[in-house]
Amino acid sequence: MVKLKIVVAMLGWMLLASPVLGASVCATDDLGEEICLDRPAKRIAALSPGATELAWAAGAGDQVVAVVAYSDYPPAARKVTSVGSHTRMDMERLLQLRPDLVIGWVTGNPTEQLATLKALDIPVFSIEPRSFEAVSQTIERLSTLAGTESEGFAEAERFRQGIAGLRAQFEKADPVPVFYQVWDEPLMTVNSQHLIGEMIQLCGGDNVFGHLGRLVPRISAEAVVAANPEAILAGGMGEENRHWLTRWQNFPSLTATARYNLFFIPPSLVQRPTPRMLEGTRLFCDKLEVARGRRP
Amino acid sequence: MTGIKRPPMQTLNTRRLVIDIPCRADGYPLDLTIESGQVWGVLGPNGAGKTTLLHTLAGLRPARSGGLYLDDLSARELKRRALSQQLGLVFQDRQDGFPATVLETALIGRHPWLSPWQMEGADDLVMAKRSLEALDVLHLKDRLVSTLSGGERQRVAIATLMTQSPHTWLLDEPTNHLDLHHQVAVMKLLTDRAAAGNAIFMCLHDLNLAARWCDHILLMYPNGGACWGPAERMLVPNALERLYNQKLATVEVDGAPFFVPRRD
Amino acid sequence: MIRPIALPLLLLALASILAMVISVGVGSVAIAPMEVVSVFMGEGADLQRTLVLELRLPRTLSAFATGGLLAVAGALMQVLLRNPLADPYVLGLSGGAAVGALLAMLAGLGGVIVSGSAFAGAMLATLMVFGLAHGTGSWTPSRLLLTGVVVAAGWGAVITLMLAISPARELPGMLYWLMGDVSYARAPWPGLGLLLVVCVVVVPLGRSLNVLARGPMQAAALGISVRPLEWLIYVLASLLTATAVTMAGSIGFVGLVIPHMLRLVLGNDQRLILPACALAGGTLLVLADTLARVVIAPEQLPVGVITALLGVPTFLYLLYRSR
Repeated sequence: MVKLKIVVAMLGWMLLASPVLGASVCATDDLGEEICLDRPAKRIAALSPGATELAWAAGAGDQVVAVVAYSDYPPAARKVTSVGSHTRMDMERLLQLRPDLVIGWVTGNPTEQLATLKALDIPVFSIEPRSFEAVSQTIERLSTLAGTESEGFAEAERFRQGIAGLRAQFEKADPVPVFYQVWDEPLMTVNSQHLIGEMIQLCGGDNVFGHLGRLVPRISAEAVVAANPEAILAGGMGEENRHWLTRWQNFPSLTATARYNLFFIPPSLVQRPTPRMLEGTRLFCDKLEVARGRRP
Repeated sequence: MTGIKRPPMQTLNTRRLVIDIPCRADGYPLDLTIESGQVWGVLGPNGAGKTTLLHTLAGLRPARSGGLYLDDLSARELKRRALSQQLGLVFQDRQDGFPATVLETALIGRHPWLSPWQMEGADDLVMAKRSLEALDVLHLKDRLVSTLSGGERQRVAIATLMTQSPHTWLLDEPTNHLDLHHQVAVMKLLTDRAAAGNAIFMCLHDLNLAARWCDHILLMYPNGGACWGPAERMLVPNALERLYNQKLATVEVDGAPFFVPRRD
Repeated sequence: MIRPIALPLLLLALASILAMVISVGVGSVAIAPMEVVSVFMGEGADLQRTLVLELRLPRTLSAFATGGLLAVAGALMQVLLRNPLADPYVLGLSGGAAVGALLAMLAGLGGVIVSGSAFAGAMLATLMVFGLAHGTGSWTPSRLLLTGVVVAAGWGAVITLMLAISPARELPGMLYWLMGDVSYARAPWPGLGLLLVVCVVVVPLGRSLNVLARGPMQAAALGISVRPLEWLIYVLASLLTATAVTMAGSIGFVGLVIPHMLRLVLGNDQRLILPACALAGGTLLVLADTLARVVIAPEQLPVGVITALLGVPTFLYLLYRSR
């Protein structure tokens, strides 16, 4: 399966890299719409922090002319003009930057504003990567639209291979019941449909709330105690802030607390669907290995 | 734009009229004839149905039975607007919470006389100001009604009725909240209007005001009984003591009887 | 009732035009006034044409329509309830309309059905508030407000619940139901058309409304058929609110602040107040939205934040003064 994809990708790469210059480029987005550009995009607006990272991953960083608030990675992205929050864009500033491609966020940007952009004949490529494979594919498609396929496909493949390696490494690992804390007040986690859910699975974790219906369910502390995870992993506000984990120290009966399996994971490494997830996943898997090592 | 011109109305009649007071048996049917020039006073203890009668006469409440006639015309056949050109009412309870100035309030009296697209004209303004003047509230014309005292509001309400200038004036306790001087001024104004051809029909809680100013009296008993007629026939101590269930002493002042409740 | 009507309306119309000129001329991208003029003459650079004609103008007109609709709805409800504190937002009409619209959207319906459902929601909200506040006793201002506030809080909870159980995909498009925002409004014309029609319908009713404001009994005694008139006002107020809510979500306090200020200046004649509300409400929201667009640009504020910041002190002052 993976091999076939590589072949297809290589074929596509060879086809598109061949000197058929001036030909239009097309890619299908996560809404199922095919976006075609007469020529590769030179002025890209990335309307979520994740989209910004993906554009850079696709090798199109230099073409990004507009980002939204909190687009802090890679550091070069901080120098790009911001058009406000992803929930309420400053449309004037966005149009002033004359984007020839907008990377929209299906569940993050207001549909009305994206519709306005489409009505103004600005191509909108809507993304919502929900799996590791989708991250790779999004990078590939973006690089197609940006005319940077050599870099994009290479990065996508690097990510694909890295994930595949981790998957192979932990395929037979002993399951660890895991609670992943997305937010503190209110207490929120992810289900197994979520990309982080896939990450937990890949590392041999068993998401104690994986069966819940909503993608990002709100839960009570009681439910966590009842589920009694063996490890608790949490992000936090900012990259260093560990205080979300301290609340669990009040529950010494929890297996995770009793065995000191309270781990901090920098949220930007796992919560954005970008190639940095490879690093995040590695960290995640390491923590679960630590938890396995602490079993009596 | 006031519709078909009718000859001026002369009398308001009730035929076998029984007012509708919930949970009370039918009262004595009323056959009143309220004519131009008459000043009627309605007396009775609390809860006898005085206000209900006024509202029924104004066409605001259906009667239990019987009919209301303007001359020979049944009130039922008249449009509400035509009715309000002939009958006007000063309420005992008013809703003055919504902001409006004294002059604006008086001017609403012109409503029955104007078509939807018509603005109040200079004539209407003159009428309103004249009415406010007559009730001694013209100096308050730009004040909000809600900022006035009870007595001032009462006079604004009467001025509104005067601006409406219907044939028959129905008034529910028009002297409420008024000081002695304004009580007399209002009663004098009302008798003057009657002399000018209007009919006045008012509920009063003050027996002596009725004795002083009214030429016709309707006594309403709590059990639904009623009797009416010229004032001198109705204002006899016996009947009044029975009406209020209160012993009275009678003296004579300026040639009119004056009733004082006894202490025991 | 005796003041000339034309002059204040003319002045307010001028203010409206001025506000729209400012709104079209100001934005996070600077466009010189002469360039704006040249855009309207059919010239100007492409980008400027797009910014002015495709973004600023529709948004300005939407803001105007929304503000006008809400102010007229507020003024009508205040007459109907004889309570200067009545407001479509405070009494929960906006909330009811938002719930109606959200239900239709969750059911996957669109367009006219969303508007119709919002209208039904606003009607239901009004009926509930009126019915419950009336109860078996009398209509007191405090009772009405309490009922309205509680019902409004209920709608807020229902909206939050619906947002919580709706598929994540719909979320960003739905959040503005809680805090109104003109940036999502797209077609201003239905709202503007309705505003115009209602003003024309309401002016001949104006004097009847003046009388109704003195209470239903007094109105009946002055020749008004109270019930039909009350129903007409009720339906109109709901329709106006629902249209405003489907355009821009729940924007609070415009219906409270504008009629109040106009009454202080122009008196209490509804024939003047209602069209004046349409103009002044529109002007206020156009200016508030201009502020919302540029005050912390590129971050954009929902205009509901600005109107609430203006409206809450006004409401408290009114409540304080009414004792």
